[in-house]
This record gives sequence, structure tokens and C-alpha cells, in this order.
Amino acid sequence: MSWRFADQRVRQSLPLGASQRAAVGQRVRAGEVVANGTTFGEPVRLLGARRLGVAPVDLPQVMRVPPGAELERGAIIARTGRRFARALSAPFDGRIVHVRANGDLEFAPVIDRWSVRAALDGVVMESTDWAITIEGAAWAIQGVVAYGPDAVGELTLAVDGRADELAPSRIDVRLRDRILIGGGRSAAEAIARAHACGVAGIVTGAVPAAGLRTLFGDEVSARGAAPVADTPTVLCLLGFGTSQLPAEVFSPFLPLVGARAAIHAASVRLFVFASSGVMAVPTIAPTLALAPDWGAVMPIEGSASPAHEVTFTSEVVANALETAVGTVPTGNLRTLEPV
Amino acid sequence: MTVATATGLVATVDVAHEGSAKRIGPRTDAADLRVWTGTPLRLALVVGRENADRAAASAAALGACADIVLTLAANGRESFIERATAIREADPDAVLIVAGSRDQNGVIDVVEALRAATAGRPKPPVVLIASDERTRARIAPSLAPLALEAIPGPTAALAREGIVARLRGMRRPAGDIVLRDEAVESAARAVAAADMRDTLVLDVSGASTSLALATPTGAVIALHSHLGVGTNADRVVARAGLDRVRRWVPRAVDGPALLERVFNRARWPDAVPATTLTLALEMALAREAVAHTLRDAERSGISVAPFRAARAIVCTGRIARFPRAAQCAIVAIDALETRGTTCLSREAPDALIAAGAIASRGSADIAGRIEPLAIAMTLWPRRAMTLTVSDATGTIEQRITRGAFLLMPTTGRVDLRVGGSAETASADALALGVIVDVRGRPLDLPQRDAERLPALARWHSALTALSSEGLV
Repeated sequence: MSWRFADQRVRQSLPLGASQRAAVGQRVRAGEVVANGTTFGEPVRLLGARRLGVAPVDLPQVMRVPPGAELERGAIIARTGRRFARALSAPFDGRIVHVRANGDLEFAPVIDRWSVRAALDGVVMESTDWAITIEGAAWAIQGVVAYGPDAVGELTLAVDGRADELAPSRIDVRLRDRILIGGGRSAAEAIARAHACGVAGIVTGAVPAAGLRTLFGDEVSARGAAPVADTPTVLCLLGFGTSQLPAEVFSPFLPLVGARAAIHAASVRLFVFASSGVMAVPTIAPTLALAPDWGAVMPIEGSASPAHEVTFTSEVVANALETAVGTVPTGNLRTLEPV
Repeated sequence: MTVATATGLVATVDVAHEGSAKRIGPRTDAADLRVWTGTPLRLALVVGRENADRAAASAAALGACADIVLTLAANGRESFIERATAIREADPDAVLIVAGSRDQNGVIDVVEALRAATAGRPKPPVVLIASDERTRARIAPSLAPLALEAIPGPTAALAREGIVARLRGMRRPAGDIVLRDEAVESAARAVAAADMRDTLVLDVSGASTSLALATPTGAVIALHSHLGVGTNADRVVARAGLDRVRRWVPRAVDGPALLERVFNRARWPDAVPATTLTLALEMALAREAVAHTLRDAERSGISVAPFRAARAIVCTGRIARFPRAAQCAIVAIDALETRGTTCLSREAPDALIAAGAIASRGSADIAGRIEPLAIAMTLWPRRAMTLTVSDATGTIEQRITRGAFLLMPTTGRVDLRVGGSAETASADALALGVIVDVRGRPLDLPQRDAERLPALARWHSALTALSSEGLV
């Protein structure tokens, strides 16, 4: 979960109705369009094989355009080549969505267009109507959860220290299209303001869970939120409530400021596109502790005495470490290993 | 592999928790069996117009611990695009079709949408069809190239078992893995056979909740869901709502703060509840996880009355490891809303689940794996009545009125008699004693904090279920 420069792989799912996709082997940059397609309106079913008088298995041979083709009204979809020809034409501007097993066609109008942008600099390894897979080398850090769509932008420091909370007053339209480093905590107010100012995304230690409900709706969970249009992108590195970024997590951001970066929400990772030599990988894996009331996640700094059995106020008996922040059950400790 | 029998070798079992595993058995080098929650199975249901079809499909999913990500009706009004988009977003691993011959055309429409939605998917979903042969033959051409498996209609219990076994097979990544829900069912069967009475094993873990009701003859009705008190705690909140979880916490706590705790718990496998408040939150989550699993069963047409009225209840998993036995008892009583007289027990940590895993492959000895906690008696008398409890220290008579909730501690063998009725109960040594619940059913908690908190405090203190430290 800590910083590392290595080959990364991302799989980006595509919505229904892909028209064009990047080819396998194509080199792409984060932010470039790798696939686009259309959103469909109410479809109609066209009698295909039956109207043309052919068997369903023979329909592909008489089709003049492939499934998925976008057509203008009246364009010939299929036609038999006999003397008394029978033809099937598009009833309105739209696309052939699907060819049914019985030879009928689902034809739908195009009501919108979508595009999917690469979340990683690299090479397209797989390209299907289902997903695009890209591989490439980048600095990466793994978070615990991400909300909103993928985001690409220049990495910008928006706090003074790793314990600081992202202040709404520091956010304005000059930060448009940037990915902000939001310190230990970013509240809903700051995230909403950043989104309104056109900020691409926010990377932060923790977000108040109730704030997430304000931003992403009541269905939001600890695993993410259902995709909804026009929502901010937030990558939580540690958890929910309050937190303080460990020095081993926060310090590497400093040499990376100004570099291009991308948040891939599905895999909950931040990629930063800088050379491998821009900094040394932190040698110490930071340790985190879940607060006794589970309301915060804090780094453990300084020395810790060996584990011993402790009876806590809940009367739970568990192995624990004596740390600078108190006696912490070993179950509530976690070490952030590199991605 | 070592095969366990009551008299022969004892298998060693690793029981997986959220982020760790506990080994039960003599071997130190490796385990013979592993108990695991299993790979989550995203299941889409395609159901016919009959309510029975929907209920049967849901019941099969509940029995197999599959997550229903989408339900499409063959006679639904959604367009082809809406169906295909919904399937694409739901991204199911398997599709269960339960429909009759009248639904042929509707099912074909859904199946065409399924084929369009999953085009290009690296691993296409498995399609299971429970319908008559003619319907299946009509649907099959529309599915190609998706693989189709014919299964018996799930309206019969035996057929449902077949579907459950198939779905479980998809959740099991290796042959030496016993799914936790399988182990719970086998444990229930083993305990019911040993005690010769209907037994409910109530298992609440970090990631799942299971209720398996077994009869001495070996029949089992089981309900499983991915609701838990740990990594799936946020699912409980999503299902039940934050207020329904919060209402069980015997302290004024604001919703946003509680949500933070739930979310952090969900992302922190095997977190320890070090404070009384976090322990109370786990107890609250457990109550709602069980209640909602039962609610799912009711929606699937499964009668939950036998679960509530089981003669014996054995608690396993996280609730069995609460520090106080009374915590386990109060959670089980509140969550199940028990009826009649019940013997409450809990497993020694992971011991019964390990025995269940062994029993699923052979026979297992369950002796010494269960700790009897209490006899729980739920009453709703018309007027005040007397309860007579005899134990090693003598006989006590307790007057019972509506609204009471109390614990009568006992020592040694216990005999219980209800005044004015022929009802009696007895048990060997109990960790707690006799719990008398006259709070009424369904169990209603007051809405307002000013009334709810004193009521909860009274119930918890009656059983000495929570220390006041950290709660006031």
C-alpha cells in the first residue's frame, strides 16, 4: 500500500455501446481517449431474417453493415441479392445494437456519446467491447477506497503538512484539472468546492463518512459508490473520519508535485508519471493504528514495546503493543507494504 | 487426507477469519481442511411471472450464500437496452433462470439482453436454467455462445439442494476448502443428531451470517447472507439503515460518527473492539445482520417461525467470542426474537465450525465444543405468573409480569416450571442461568433516545451484558 515504482496494469471497463477502441499494442498516455461509444435510447426490434426470407444463420451473409454500425435513416442494413430483392433499412438514425438468435435486430437511436480515457501511461494489452487493459510503469500508491470517476491531472500540494486538513479557502479555479494532495483529512465542503472549481481529483488520508453520503448519496459504502454523473473523484489512502498521513506516505508526494498523475478508481490507486529516479523508495514501511473507538486511523511513530496480552475496557483480551499513542491491539495495527 | 471419526484420527482444520486463520487440531505443519467464506458469487436472477418463481430463486440464492446483484422478471417492462445496461453494471458471475412455459418469450428477451451485455467478457457468466425441457430447448439458441446448464426447478427442496450445491461449487476455489456456510450446516446436523432435538446454529462472522436449522433426522433449512459485523459491516448499514443499527447502541451516539466507525471496521479485517462502545456496535451489527437475513428468508417464502422457535440455539463465530456469555445471549435473543423455551449455547472459539467442516466430509465428535449458556424463556402471559427454578442451591420462585426481562443465575442442574401451565425445561450446568423474556413480540424499541436508552440500559444490566465503563 506504500509508494513503489513498478510496472502497473489497469483494466478499464467499458459501458454498453462501444464504437471505437484503442488497438492492442497501441501506446497511450493517461487522459487520452482509448474508447468511445454511444448511449442508446428506446430500441425497436426489426424483423431481420424473417423479412428477408433467409435463415437466421444466413443473415450475416446478407447484411450490408456489421452489428454495431451507426446508420442514417433509410440506410440499407441487409438485402437479399435475388431478382425480387428484399431489403431491410434503418427506420431512423441509430445503431444496430444486437442481432438476435432468431435473426431479428435490435436497433436504437443514439441519445448521447461517451468516451473512456486511459488511466495509465503505457501500452494497450487487451481491447474488447468489455474492457481495455493497459500496462505501463509508474509510481503508484494504493488507497483503501476511491469514489467517483477516474481522474487525470497535475499533482498539486494543497496542504502545508501531513496532518493538515484540506481547507476550502485554499481551493480556487486556478487548481482546475489538478489532482490535489489533501493531507490527513478532506471534508465534504472542501471536496465539493474543489469539484465546483474543476479540480480533477483529491488524494487524502481520510474522508468523513457522512460527508461521503452528502457527495455521493446514501448508497455510498466503505467500498465505493455507484457511478453517478458529475461527482468528484476522491482517493482515501487510510480510511474514514480523521487521520494523519505517515511521513513515509506524505514525503514522497513532495518531489512528485508538478508531475502528471492519475487516479484509477476501480483499483483504488494513484499513479504518478515521473521518472524512477525522481526519489528513493521509502525504506521503512509505515505502521497504522485504528483508533480505539474506530473513528480514526493514525500512524504509529516512535518505538513500540513487544506484544503482550491486555484486557481492554471492552473486556476483550488481545495481544497488544505499547506505542506512543497508547496500548493498541495488534489486530488494530497494519503495515503499509509497497504496491 | 486425514479423515476424522469419533474414534479415529482427528483432522486439523484452519478456520479463516477476516484476515487471519485459527488452526484447530493436532497438526502444526499444515491443515487437512480449510474453512473459508468462499469467493463472493454475484448472481443475477431471471424469474417468471409467478411469485413462486421469484421466491424459489431467491431461496436458492439464500441457501447458497450468493449475492443477488440483479433480478429481472420475464414479464418486466424494461426495454432491451435497459436490461442489457443493468446486466452490464451488475456484472454477474452466474445467472439463475427460474421460469415456466408461459414465460418463454419473456425469458428469451432477457437472455438476448444478457448475451449483448456480456459480449467480450473474458469469463462469461454461467447460466443455470430451471424450467421444463421444451422451454429450455427454445431458450438455448438465444444463449449461444454462453454455456447453459440445466438444473431442476428449485420449488422442490431436493432440487434446491442441487442448485445450492452447484452455486457453492462456484464459490469454492479449492478442493480442501469447506465453505463456512457448509460447515455451519454440518455442525447443525451433527448437534441436532447428538442432542436429538431441533437445533439452530446461529453463525455471525465478520463477513457472513448463517442460520442453519437442523432436525435430528438430518434435514436442514439454511439461510446465508454476506452480512457481517466486520468486513461486511457496511453492508448491514446499507441494508438496514444507520438508524436501525444505531438504535441498539445503549448510548447516545450521533449517526455520522457511527458511520465512520462502521466504515473503518469494514476496511480493517479482524479489528479488535477495544472499547465498550465498539463492542456494543458489533453487537448492534450482529442483531441487524441476523434480522435482515431472516427478512430475506421471509421474502423468499421461507417460514422463519421454526428458526425463532428452535428448541436449541448454538451461537458460533464472532458472537460466540464476545467477552461475556451474556452478550452472546442477548444478541441471539434480540436478533432472533426467540419464541417459547430455548436452550442457548455457544461454541468454544471456532471449535464447532471446525467440527462442522470435518462432519461435512465424514463424521465428527462435537463433545466438549459447546458451552451451555442459558435457558431462554419467552412468555407473554395474560396476567402475572410464577416461575419456579430449582438448581443445586435450592428452589426459587419468581413472579413474572409483562415487560420483564431478567436473568435468574443458577448453579448445577436446572429444572424450570411455569406456574399454571404444563411447560417445563431442564438443563445441566449453565454459564448464566434462566433468562426470562416478557418484552413481547415483535420486540419494539422506543424511537426516542430518552426512552430507548433507559430501556436498553435496563435490558443490558438485567443480564450484566455490558460494563457501564465507556458507555456513560
